[in-house]
Formats: sequence, C-alpha cells, structure tokens
Amino acid sequence: MIKKNVICSFCGCLCDDLSITIEDGKITGVDNGCALANAKFLGKERLLKPVIREGDSIKETEYNTAIEKAADILKDAERPLFFGWSGTQGEAQAKGVHLCMLLGGVIDNTSSLCHGPSILAIQEVGHPGCTLGQVKNRADLIIYWGCNPLEGHPRHMSRYTTYADGFFLKNAFRERKLIVVDVRKTMSSDVADEFIQIEPGGDYAVLSALRAIVRGEEKIIPESVSGVSKSQLKRVADMCKEARFGALFFGLGLTMSKNKYKNIRNAVELTDELSRHTKFTISAMRGHWNVYGANEVFTWMTGYPYAIDFARGIPFYNPGETTAAEILYRKECDALMVVSSDPAAHMPKKCVEHMADIPVIQIDPHKNCTSFFTDVQIPVAITGIEASGTAYRMDGVPLRTKKIIDADFLTDTEVISRIYERILEAKADV
Amino acid sequence: MSELLIKNAYVIDPINDIKGEIMDIAIKDRMIADSVSDSAEVIDAKGCLTLPGGVDSHTHICGTKVNFGRYMSPEDMRAGRGRAQPHMYPVSGYSVPTVYANTYRYSALGYTTVLEGAMAPLEARHTHEEFFCTSLQDTMANTLFDGNWSVMEAVSDKDLKRVAAVVGWTLAAVKGFAVKVTNPGGTEMWGWGKDVGCIHQKIDHFGITPAEIIEYLIRANELLNLPHSVHLHCNNLGKPGNYKCTLETMQRTPNLNDKRQTLYMTHVQFHSYGGTKWGDFCSKADDIAWMLNRKPQIAIDMGQVMFGKTTTMTADGPMEFNLYRLYNNKWSNHDVELETGSGIIPVFYSRKNLVNSVMWSIGLELALMTKNPWQCMLATDNPNGAPFVKYPEIIALLMSSRYRDEEFAKIHPDTGKRVHLPSLDREMDFYEIAVMTRAAQAKALGITDIGKGHLGEGAYGDVAIYPIKNNDIDPSRDYSKIIEGFSLTDYTIKSGRVISRHGNCLLNGNNRTIWVKPKISEEYNMSNDPEFVKKFERYYSVSMENYPVEEEYMNKRNICIETETGL
Amino acid sequence: MKIELSIKPREKPFIPIEAESITPASFLEKMTEDITVWSGNREKKLTEIFDVKKSGNADSQKDVEIILNGDCSAVKRVGEYMKDGKISIMGNIGMHCGNFMSGGLIEINGDSDSWLGREMTGGEIICKGNTGDYCGSGYRGEKTGIKGGKITIMKDAGDYLGESMAGGEIIVNGSSGNMPGSEMQKGTITIYKDAVLPCPNMRGGICYVLGEAKEILPTFKQTGSIYNSDHKRELNIYEGDYANRSHKGKLFAGKTNKK
Repeated sequence: MIKKNVICSFCGCLCDDLSITIEDGKITGVDNGCALANAKFLGKERLLKPVIREGDSIKETEYNTAIEKAADILKDAERPLFFGWSGTQGEAQAKGVHLCMLLGGVIDNTSSLCHGPSILAIQEVGHPGCTLGQVKNRADLIIYWGCNPLEGHPRHMSRYTTYADGFFLKNAFRERKLIVVDVRKTMSSDVADEFIQIEPGGDYAVLSALRAIVRGEEKIIPESVSGVSKSQLKRVADMCKEARFGALFFGLGLTMSKNKYKNIRNAVELTDELSRHTKFTISAMRGHWNVYGANEVFTWMTGYPYAIDFARGIPFYNPGETTAAEILYRKECDALMVVSSDPAAHMPKKCVEHMADIPVIQIDPHKNCTSFFTDVQIPVAITGIEASGTAYRMDGVPLRTKKIIDADFLTDTEVISRIYERILEAKADV
Repeated sequence: MSELLIKNAYVIDPINDIKGEIMDIAIKDRMIADSVSDSAEVIDAKGCLTLPGGVDSHTHICGTKVNFGRYMSPEDMRAGRGRAQPHMYPVSGYSVPTVYANTYRYSALGYTTVLEGAMAPLEARHTHEEFFCTSLQDTMANTLFDGNWSVMEAVSDKDLKRVAAVVGWTLAAVKGFAVKVTNPGGTEMWGWGKDVGCIHQKIDHFGITPAEIIEYLIRANELLNLPHSVHLHCNNLGKPGNYKCTLETMQRTPNLNDKRQTLYMTHVQFHSYGGTKWGDFCSKADDIAWMLNRKPQIAIDMGQVMFGKTTTMTADGPMEFNLYRLYNNKWSNHDVELETGSGIIPVFYSRKNLVNSVMWSIGLELALMTKNPWQCMLATDNPNGAPFVKYPEIIALLMSSRYRDEEFAKIHPDTGKRVHLPSLDREMDFYEIAVMTRAAQAKALGITDIGKGHLGEGAYGDVAIYPIKNNDIDPSRDYSKIIEGFSLTDYTIKSGRVISRHGNCLLNGNNRTIWVKPKISEEYNMSNDPEFVKKFERYYSVSMENYPVEEEYMNKRNICIETETGL
Repeated sequence: MKIELSIKPREKPFIPIEAESITPASFLEKMTEDITVWSGNREKKLTEIFDVKKSGNADSQKDVEIILNGDCSAVKRVGEYMKDGKISIMGNIGMHCGNFMSGGLIEINGDSDSWLGREMTGGEIICKGNTGDYCGSGYRGEKTGIKGGKITIMKDAGDYLGESMAGGEIIVNGSSGNMPGSEMQKGTITIYKDAVLPCPNMRGGICYVLGEAKEILPTFKQTGSIYNSDHKRELNIYEGDYANRSHKGKLFAGKTNKK
C-alpha cells in the first residue's frame, strides 16, 4: 500500500508530499523525501517498553508503573522544569502547559537552544514575514544568511525558493537571484549568484552597513566591513532594492553567533528599511518539525512563546533567567521532565551535571544522550507515523500530521494526560 | 436533564419585541422553554437587567495574527495578570491577552457568542485550535477572500457561479462561517509592496478592480444562501479622505436579501475620514450616517477607538505598514500565499493627540447619527480600536451626553472644529444598547434562526444578568454605574449553565463552533476542477489533500449550517 | 529602624528565592512575621529563610536600613519598587536587584547578578563587585530601559549594559562586555576601561569608553576629537548610529578599533 501526501515530521519545512510504501504494517519505502526524511520513516531503533531506574540498573516496566513513578517525582517538586516539546504533537504541548500550570514549574521548549534569540529580536522590532508559498510564487531574490539549506533543510530550495515553480516567474530557476551569506563556503554558497563571506562575528556590522547604504549613507562606510568589500555591499544593496520581491532567510549561523538576537534585530530592521523601496520579507529557518508549534501553543495559553515560569502561579517570562539551560546551569530546578528532545546532547556540561543530580523523566520513542540520566523513560508513538497531531510549519502554517501505521504505544498526549490525572488524584488525597 | 428558572428578571429581548418587562425565563436542556418543573434550579434576578447573551460580530481573538500579536508583545502581558482559580487557568495580557483571558473577560461582560473577524483559509486550523480554548463563547470565523486568486480569476472571467463555487468549497473546507473581504485587491497588491487607491483601481496581473471583487462576492454570497452577508473591511482604511471611497462602496451595494443586510461594513470609524492629509483631517461621519440611513441593505459596526494602549492587527498588510511608518514602533507582517495578508503594530491612542481625538469622536458620531440601531453594532474591532473590555465605557458614552461632554473637555482642544459630536444630544436607552450589543449582531450574522441572540422558546439558553435596576438608575447622570454594571454580570448563562458569576467563571468548556457548508452539486464541486486542483499542485505550498480542516478540530457539539444553493 | 537579615542554610540551596518583599516599605508597613518570600513554587515566611534581627523604630522609609548577610546570590528581586531608605548587601546578590527602583540607596559589597536596576527611574545603586548582563536595561519587548537614577559598578559589567537606556546615569569603573548602550536613547554611560561594540543602533544619549572601544561599528561617523578635562584624556568623538533613521547619539572613546 502506498500513502500519498504524507507530512514529514522531521524539520520545520513539513514537506507534505511524501509517498510512503507500507507492507505488512511496516514502512518499506519513502518517495519524495530527503535523506533526513528517509532516515526518520525507515528508522528501526526505538525503546519498546517504559523503563525505570532502580539503583544502578534500568528495568523494563509497564506504562502504569512508569506513569505512577513520573507523577511521584513531579508532585512534590519545588521547581520542576519541563523541557523539549519541539518533536511532539500540539495537543501534547497543550497538555504539558496545563501540567506545568498545575505544578508551578517552568516550561521551556527547544527554541531556547535555537531560535530563541530570534524571538527576542521580534519582540523588539516585529517580524515582516510571509508564508513560504508567497516566496515561491513571487520572489526574484532569495538570501540565505547563516544557514546552509541544502544540508540543513534539504528540500527548502526545491519546494519553496530557488528551484520551485513560481506563478509570477516564467522560468523561476533562472529568474531568481540567490545570495548566500556565511562565514565559510558551503554546498549552498556554491550555487549562489553572490556569496558574501563574513569574518566570524562580523554579521552585525555588515547588517548595519547595509542599512546605512540602503538609506543613502554609504559615504561613511569604510572600504571593508568585517572582511566584506564596500563594493560588494553596495552591489548587494542594489540587488535588494531592485528586486520585485526579496526574501531573506536566516539560520542559526546568524542567531547563535556573536551578538545573537541583536543580529536578528538588525536583519529585521534592514528588511523594514528595504520595505520602503520594494517588497521584502524575512523568515527564520526553524529546525525541529514542530518547534514553531511549541511557540504557538505556549503563546496562546500563557502569552509567551518559551521560557515560562509558573512558580508564582502567574506566568513570568525572562529568557536568560527562565530558559532551561540557564535554570540547569544555575542548578535551580529539582526535577526535570524532557519531552521529545535531547538536552544532554545540546547543553553545556554543567547543565548535564545537574541532570545527573536530580530526578529526570523522559518521554520519547527513542533512547538518546539524555536517557543516560533518566529515572523513568516512557516510549510513545511517533507523531506523523504512528500517531496524528497538529504541527506548525516554520512559517506558521498549521498542518495535521498523519497516522500511517498502527503501533502499540500511547501517544505523548495520552501519557502526559495520565500523569496529569495521577497528580490531580494525589493532590486530592492530601 | 437540566432545568433552570430565572425569576423576576427585567427582560429586554429586542428580537422578540420585549422592551423591558419583569418576567421569568425557563431553560430546559440548554434551550429556552415555556416552563420547567418544580425541581428546576432557581436564580432570582431581583429585577435586574436581563438580556440575551452578548454577541460580538467583529473581534480578533483567535488565530495566526492574534497569536503573533501576543508572541511579539511580552510587554502587553505585564498587564492583566491573574492567578489560577478553581475553574480558571492563570491569565495575562491586556490588548492581546491569552485565550483564557479573552474567554473569561468576555463572559464577565455577558458575552456568549463571538465572531473572529479574520481567518486566513490556509491557516484555519490555528483559529480552530484556539476556539477550543475559548470555551465560554460559541465561536465563528470570518474567512478571508480579499486576495483569493481563484476568486479573482473567476471575477475576471465574469463567472459568478465559479466565484460562488470557490467560496463554497473553501468555507466548507476550512469550516468557516462567513465571507470576509479585507481591503479587496489591496492584500494581493501588497504582495508587491503596493496597495490599491480606491475601488476602481485595477489590480496587477488580475486586471480587475476592488469594486468588481465586492460585487461578485456579494452576489456569490446570496447564491450560496449564506446566513451572514459579505463582511467588508473597505479599501483605504485609516487614510484622510477615505470617506469618499466608503460612500461609493455603500452607494453601489444592491439590496438582495429581505432577512438581513446585503453588506456588513466593519469598523466604519476607520473609513469615515475627511480631509486630504493629517493636517486637515476631520470627521465625515455625518455623510456616512446619511448614506446608511438611506440604505437598509447595509449594516455597520462602529470600530470605536478608546484612549490608551492597544495593538492593531488586520489582514490589511499595506495599512499596517503605513501605520508603522507613522509610529516607528515594531511592525509585523504576514502575507498568506494566494489568499490574503496581515499586519500588526502596537499603538497608543492619546487624548492629547488631535487625530486620535477626532477618531474617538467619529465612532460615537456614527452610532448616534445612525437612526436605526439595528444597522449599527457596538464594537471596537477588538483590539484595534480598543480592547473589548472597554465596551461598558462605550455603552455609557452612548447613554449619557453628559459623560460625552465631560470626556470631550479632556481631549485635544482643536477637536471641536473637526467633528460633530458636541452637537449630538441623543442618549440611547437600554433597548437600543441591547440591540447594538446582541440582537442586531445576531440578526446581522444570520444566527437568530439557530437560536442565538434572543430569548424566544427554542433559542439557546444564553442569558446575561447585569446588576442594573432600570428604575434606580438614570444612565445620563449615573454613567459610572452603567460602566460598572455592564463590566461585570451577576450571572452569565450559556446554554442553560451558569458560566460566570461576578467574573468568576464557574465552568470550563463546551463551546460550539458554528460553520457553514453550502450544498453544491458535483458539477460545481471545485475538488474536480482541473484549474483549481492545479493551484494546489503548482502554487500553494500545501497539497489539496492536506488543506481542509479535519473533524478533529471541531468541538463535539459544533453546529454546521448547511445551505441550499443555486449551484 | 535597622533590619538585619542573615540567610539560613537550605536543603536545596540553589532553588531561587523571590524576595521583592525585602524593601524598606515592607518592614515599615508589615509585621516581620507577615512578610513572605517565594522559594520555587512555595510561599514561605521570611523568617523560614532568614534570621531576622530588627532594632529601632522608623517613621518613614527613609529611616529604614536593611542589611543582608551571607551569600544571597540565589535571592532575586531584592529592593524591587524601592522608594526610599537603604539596603546594604554584604555579599553577592541575585538577579533583578533594585528593579523599578525610584529612590533610596542599594549598596552591594559583592557581585550582583543580571538585570541589576532594570527599569529604574530614580535612586542609586552602588555595586562594589562585578555585575552580570542587562544592568540598567529594560524588559523584553519594551521600548525603554532605565529612565533615571544612578548605577555605579566598581568592577566589570556583563553584556547589554544599559540596553535601551532612556535617562539616568551608569558608571562602570572596569570594563563592560558586549554591546553596552545598545538602542540607547538618552542618559549617560561611562566605562572607565574597555568595551566591545559600544552603542549599536543608538539614537541618542552619550557614552564614554575611556579605555579601548573595540569594534566600533562602521555606521558611526567620527566628527573629531577633544581633550576631556573631567577624565584627563584625549577622546575621539563619534556620532551614530547611522544605520538608524535618527542618529543623534554621541560616543566618546579613548582608543578605538573599527571593525
């Protein structure tokens, strides 16, 4: 059997045109997907049963026992931290927020390790953006800044930008100009019409210089800015102003390098400035398939996209203080629940050390680095393959990922709901 | 079976022509009934003002744009913060509060039905997800068609039935309620960073005009027999001199429906501006009201501006960019491929600012100069003119010329030369307020037949009891008591259950989403249309199969209005 | 009135204490046993966390002095909304000390954590050690940082010192981290040693970097130099930030290094 128009729950592109071959209830083939999608759909490794730590050993157990243990850990915590959420269904994210509200904990999603700074910039200056189809149909200038789509989001260029069909472009591939900005050559920069190579840490100065040039203040700009020649900057500013529709995409190379959110703020302000001359938009290349969904769900429920502290019963938001890495680094939390994420692989050593000191609950179909520190791990159905659920694409378009095969696992939503119910019962007993 | 008896209520129910009588209201199994048994739960209204649950026919509370307003505004969340209560989640936010804050605050004001003013079809799931949390109001979504390529192509081909077929397919697919047109053509032009001047300017590539889009959509809307009329946000919002564009749009509107208006024009305050620039900016509310008084086929909402901080958000992308250049504050924009756009910026309406003072006056003038209150709804285009929590103040302003005079004395001193407000001495009564805040809105939306907006037998048991006693109060003098009374109900009852008492929400859940499904023959089913299918295959970034909103996004007791169509 | 607070040993010493109740106003208006603080998600009596010694009387906040002993680096929000009086912190202090302060004096003998004096409008903070990031800044999404008052840091400051500053004065006797005075509108920042990327996107205000200003942006225009008699040295004068539509900021720097 072949299922068509399957949505890929790997990266923020949420490509929705995959064809999946299923034989005897198992996935045997993936068409249209990139290498990352193939690996996800054809992956075999997974945790089969819930496990709990007893002393030095890990023991398999049943869902009920694992859920009971998770509830026990959480119910008395003084500052529980709930982290992850970018790899699960929106419904589970919502349940997670309710759990955090009930327990007075802190809830954060993986944005704080990826595009959190982009969000801080948006909170300062806003975000002139659009859906990806708008770029595909209109843009004659594409800029990738601090990202390498051909490797990080392999189908971004073919579905949404350079190689995609465009309604207003006769021959989209030839009519669209491509600018790549990075600190090093990449596969993507190799196919660019213009490659701007910036000295590491120099993005902010280059963006400022471009803003000044677009505003007609090129006189004050020196001959070279962070390794980029003034003539190239002028040429690029002209390309931007002359475009009918320019679309700037930025990745972690801009967000997570020196000056972090100020880089993004500067890029947004450049987009604002260009909007006075022509149509220009800016968008983040979001990584995990539903990290934007986590931002959306958290925002409508709590008012904030990530890093929300419910200790006082009222949401408080202050990235740098209420973000997961900072809380672990400062050893503030006394219990940790990780959902569909691997903080041990991505956080500084000192954060991981604290994970070893406190009880950790993990809800994830797979074992990963964080599993070494867990006291309870509960495997769940993989959303987009074994369970359906809502996801938000990197541009905010909501889609419903599909269940394409059956599996004997609870969903994230079911597991979190059962933990929630168990804690409610325990609180009622007191 | 649940039964509820509200005794001793001072009832105004305009749709059933009840203009203030002491009576009992019986509710049985969620619906208004003739009588209930002796075992019914009893609420003693003690002669207090009792109205059908409030209906907001134009508000922005759920969906992509609203949520982006929250996302970009942590500073807004510093106001309106509240802890969890036994049946309430914690809340925060003022102009773009969380979903829970919105639903609790609306219920405290006695509202039980709200219409989200702008849903991009491509992003409809998002709106419906938030509707799920808006559990204390029944919800509906205006669906955006202002820049819909398939609609514009059909208009260009002068193919009315095809326009209707596209609209019908899309409404059913995204579970929308009505046809919304925001700056028709302007949002498509904004895809190139441009806008349209007025209704006769041709739209790039498509070669049609906003006037044609409006005309075809009005006719398609009637062909589809939709409960609500076309819901229009005119071109040129917020520009000095735009009243001419508004007048002509009104002038051109045919009268095609005897049950309700043929065109609903929203936040008309923003479209009633005279002058040529901000320097000679003035009110043209008199001209607009003059036209409205001669056009029963048109209904409007005020789009009242109230002073203070708020957030503007609309599908009108180019307008928001203009505002950004005016205020130089943060600006967000979000174009939606093949369909529409949107923009958001925070604003502060200041009494000391002449333009803002004139805007404030215009909204009130529109309401006071419209003879028939059934044609003018009370709304702020929440949160664009002001957050909806300001409604009680607007009610008081409409009921008391003394209050208006006192407020007028506090605004920019030059306002008087540019507006008509000081010369208006009309004071509305409770009946007119009941019309403007529920009855007219339900009628305009076309939902009285399904039992919304009134208290007739068989209607939903949606009731608001305000701590206001008709005989003890002179609204003209005691306007502060009017504000207080309309700010917090004694009881808000939805579908026969008390959902809020003095602002404490007693229950969580069970709202319904009302949506429409026009019955369309196979011949006009766009799913089979090669050109339409090609739009998805080549130009949308989402496949046709993954576009329609699934049943999972509907609350259990959703109401689907199926219409008989001419297709 | 003098109140001496000494932090007690705790089972979980890293769980933050939120103590916006430690202000002169609280001790003047409330009985000590009615004052509470939050430890994680639990509200606790102040006396559960601190040993409290109270002596003397006071008629107004001005006559109240609070002394904090011990390592208070996990104690947040001390002196929030302080209007008058004095808080002396003998060791380190946690985040958000002196937020929204409008008057009085906070003296910190050790280091202060991030967001020291955030959104303050008046009064004075003196920190004898180092301070963290966002000293004298605003809140996420807000347009303005501090609008008045004075913050003096005797050692070094972290990143984003005086972000969006809209008034008042900040003095750092050591160096600052990355981007002091970003989005600055008004007020004065003086950094006695070095700073990295000073005043990006500034629209107004004055910033002195008396040591080396590293990576001055290409969008700052040098308009000359001046001998500054206050600081007894030759300073280059820059105007900026020309990336912005308004660029009335002034940056004075000893040595410079343009990126």
